[in-house]
Amino acid sequence: MPGEARGQETNGGARREHGVTKIVLDGREVEVDPKQPLIRACHEQDVDVPMYCYHPGLTPVGSCRICQVEVKQGELPPRVVVACRTPVAEGMIVNTESPKAHAARRECLEFLLKNHPLDCPICDKAGECDLQDFAFAEQQGEGRSVEPRRKLEKRKSLGDVIVLDEERCILCSRCVRFFEDVTHKPQLTVAGLGSHSIITTFLDRPLEGNYQGNLADICPVGALTLQNFRFQARVWNLSKQFSTCGECSRGCSITVEVLRNREVKRLRPRYNPEVNKWWMCDTGRFSFEPLEQEERLEGARIHGGGRAQPAELEVALDEAADCLRVHRKPVVVVSPWLTVEEGAAAKALCEALETDAVFVSPDPNELKDDLLHTGDPCPNRRGLSELGFSPVAADDACTAISEAESALLVGERVCDLLGRERLASLPDEVRLVVLDTRPLEAPAVTVSVGIPNAFEREGTWVNLDGHRGRISVARPAPAGVAPLTRTLERLRERLVAEGARS
Amino acid sequence: MTTQAVTVLTAALVEELEELVTHYPERRAALIPALHRCQEELGGWLSPEILEACAEFFGLEPVEAFGVASFYPMFHLRPVGQHVVAVCHNISCMLRGAEELLERACAVTGCAQPGATSPDGKFTVLRVECQGTCVNAPMLDLDGTFHENLTPEALERLLRSTGGAA
Amino acid sequence: MTYPTYLLDRTGAKDSHTLEAYEKAGGYATLRRVLREGWSPEQVLQRVKDSGLRGRGGAGFPTGLKWSFMPDPAKDPRERYLAVNADESEPGTCKDRVLMQDDPHGLVEGILLACFAMRVRTAYVYVRGEFRLAYDRVAAAIEEARAAGIVGAKVCGAAFACEIWMHKGAGAYICGEETGLMESLEGKRGHPRPKPPFPAGSGLWGQPTTVNNVETLFNVPFIVERGPDWFKSMGTAKSPGNVLIGISGHVERPGVYELPLGIPAREVLERYAGGVWKGRALQAWFPGGSSTGLLPASTIDLAMDHDSLREAGSMLGTGAIVVLDETACVVEAMRCIARFYEHESCGQCSQCREGTQWLHQIFERIELGAGRMEDIELLSSLASGMAPGKTICALADAAAIPTHSVVRHFRRELEEHVRLGGCPAKHAARKRTAEPAGSMA
Repeated sequence: MPGEARGQETNGGARREHGVTKIVLDGREVEVDPKQPLIRACHEQDVDVPMYCYHPGLTPVGSCRICQVEVKQGELPPRVVVACRTPVAEGMIVNTESPKAHAARRECLEFLLKNHPLDCPICDKAGECDLQDFAFAEQQGEGRSVEPRRKLEKRKSLGDVIVLDEERCILCSRCVRFFEDVTHKPQLTVAGLGSHSIITTFLDRPLEGNYQGNLADICPVGALTLQNFRFQARVWNLSKQFSTCGECSRGCSITVEVLRNREVKRLRPRYNPEVNKWWMCDTGRFSFEPLEQEERLEGARIHGGGRAQPAELEVALDEAADCLRVHRKPVVVVSPWLTVEEGAAAKALCEALETDAVFVSPDPNELKDDLLHTGDPCPNRRGLSELGFSPVAADDACTAISEAESALLVGERVCDLLGRERLASLPDEVRLVVLDTRPLEAPAVTVSVGIPNAFEREGTWVNLDGHRGRISVARPAPAGVAPLTRTLERLRERLVAEGARS
Repeated sequence: MTTQAVTVLTAALVEELEELVTHYPERRAALIPALHRCQEELGGWLSPEILEACAEFFGLEPVEAFGVASFYPMFHLRPVGQHVVAVCHNISCMLRGAEELLERACAVTGCAQPGATSPDGKFTVLRVECQGTCVNAPMLDLDGTFHENLTPEALERLLRSTGGAA
Repeated sequence: MTYPTYLLDRTGAKDSHTLEAYEKAGGYATLRRVLREGWSPEQVLQRVKDSGLRGRGGAGFPTGLKWSFMPDPAKDPRERYLAVNADESEPGTCKDRVLMQDDPHGLVEGILLACFAMRVRTAYVYVRGEFRLAYDRVAAAIEEARAAGIVGAKVCGAAFACEIWMHKGAGAYICGEETGLMESLEGKRGHPRPKPPFPAGSGLWGQPTTVNNVETLFNVPFIVERGPDWFKSMGTAKSPGNVLIGISGHVERPGVYELPLGIPAREVLERYAGGVWKGRALQAWFPGGSSTGLLPASTIDLAMDHDSLREAGSMLGTGAIVVLDETACVVEAMRCIARFYEHESCGQCSQCREGTQWLHQIFERIELGAGRMEDIELLSSLASGMAPGKTICALADAAAIPTHSVVRHFRRELEEHVRLGGCPAKHAARKRTAEPAGSMA
């Protein structure tokens, strides 16, 4: 039939795609992806089947047995199977709530809770723990075991990133498989067997590599947790906002988690099939730590006589416009952290100043790997290039600045990338207007204006493959700090209004 | 083959293992027979150095070789005595006096309890599961040789004549 | 009445393990004839299928049927394998050992015929690591056979290549499970694999594989030589042939005896094993290894075949009878085997990893006097939570079946332990040793 070549067939008027299988799921007829196991179909249809050893990014092993559901195929009697190892088949009738399946899951839960320590009150995973969630959903608060629980190490450091609590471990082996399947370098194993199994490295050597933090995400319980998140916050007190990581040009999708509308406590990867799947690297994951510590430029300052005076933003922008206008051809250098929206505003400003639109281009670093990190340590090289910005090396930019009479430095980390010492030792004649997150100690600074960092503004970055990643406001910027787009626009207005250049 | 494997494993052993791997379509399949040979030839237990050497030989990470070795009761990951006395305590042997054998074995060797090594380092007494000699219960395995239809007296004679037990 | 035998017939001869003795007794004649007369592999397979031979490793699956699962090489041309399960680790079982030690060429011929039938050219003999003599004897037999042109590129000069390699296990019972065996043979932890896929579709290194027990393969040359009708003349309709029954524990003459399937257990016990030892009475017995569970003395007339024992709520398993006399403690026996299953669980499945430990802890508490009445129901409930069909492999079932069995048949003993706060048998034993000589039973 002609349609089949394209993977479609007509069937009495109803069109059906190849690559779709019809099953009955808890009484509803649904179409599911035949290439995925039944448990994926259930989850995609919002049917909540619990899972521990199964993870969509790892090889399924079918060992925890918690995902038991009842399945009926053809003339065979219904049977209870593990959904993670069951392929979907046309006409399959799935009943996740059959008494047998439900009972099987509850039995499994009781077995898991037999040795699992009652650590919820002190466990970081509480509130986002798959075991806790299922036990609560099943109202299974008490098991029948009177046997002593196994006593194992509860605070085993696996290096700088991860700490292991052997008692909490339910031996799902996700962590073992993560290193096998994702980073392709085994680092963990199940040692021993049976009830004496534990997860361990070889000779207690610390974990290596830039992807250790993912273990805390994939561990379904609080066995593998982040050292730096230990006791830092209760997850239900964290407000979560979608965003994008800015540490390299991969632009992994992330969630920014903030405590009390103020402190960023955690970054976690967000599933994005096109960019980072379920993972992020540790460089990105922990990038918020120094950012939370640094001294911020709050509001605006006018510098003179070796002192910086706080000023109203409008006044500071007047001063800045004067500074840029008076001198010929100011150099404008932007940071590759600028969003596309900020870049457009900066471009317009460059046009008003009739100067080149450039961004300081950091050197590639050695973090590049086969997984996520691109080695290009900035988020929006491509977005800015597409707007017409040219990359310039820090050295060349500083040379240009030192030869100019005034310069405008725009964007988060722009001073770091140009070199704070170099900027501090610019010739006296140069006048700098700095729009950055941090204050710059340099005699050349005339006006400095604080800007929001990546957690405090919304916008778009374009990754190296052209995917557009959104960042959003996860917490308010410091007092007196306005969005950069607005600041740039108001600066441009001043410059245009004067009509200073022919 | 870099230094670790060649230094820790003897040249003869490496040659033997190179022949062994030819029996299989994948090299790694020879790992468990190789671990047996290493344990037999290199001191009676699988030290971390031996595990690393085997890992290197098979193109594995050390943690993989360790994970495999730790699964199997016959592999000792800690030093053992010069002689390993493995007494079966499973059903047929239990019914015919295994616990008495274990008691006597500990008494004769000076091991505090099964699982321990004697203070003089001569013996390790172990409880093991069914060894497959049930019709001749009770029994023990001494350094890889089965001694079946054992009485406590015969056990004592056997151990006292082994390596000059006191 | 004397039963016809064939399995152990050659083992009485001097040096029966040698090629010379084997050929003198007619060994390899069947293999040679099959090759010389140009039988097709299908013919050999059909003969085994028609015989009704069931696996002798414990599960009793029809062997010919299992062989027929191997794919048609025209459709699946990948390399394929036979793995010989010589891991014999089921408590009470020691019969494959006899064949390997005393008649290894019989196994070799069985392997070669099986490989021929399934168009396999590489076989691995996975021998439990503790079986030194058995391993050495089979290895030596293969070398003799190779030197004689029987194993190798041209088996007996025919256009049939078959290589047999020896492989050692290292003490894990779970590696007697066919997929655990394959994982171990591949050099990994012996974690059983979920099924499907089944070994015939994806086995060793993902390729078509059949796993057969030693005794099963040992039957093959006899079946091929003497035919299905001969085989079916022994045993029962659904469990034909002879089987090696081991009997151990509290009997006068423990031993491995070749007997027809379907023989009443009582006959094995009384006629062959000399009855319960020391003039004592039978209290309980395992029919086929610890996984088949304890049955009461009243059942000793049960027939030793797959279906009779299954109907009685047990199984033939490995045909390894273990006998407990009246002074034994069934709870101690259960503690012993529960300890075994906890020790041997690979740990993948939550119910087995935790459940085997839990069962052991409960039996231990009951035996040591810290049991509670509610523990008895708890045992049954846990066993029901572990099996059947809830885990990747049947080790959970192997722990659960004996648990159900002891609660069903020996509840009184369990309750006595709880009421007494200890073991009545040990209590009685202490009383016996305390009494003056002459008054002891």
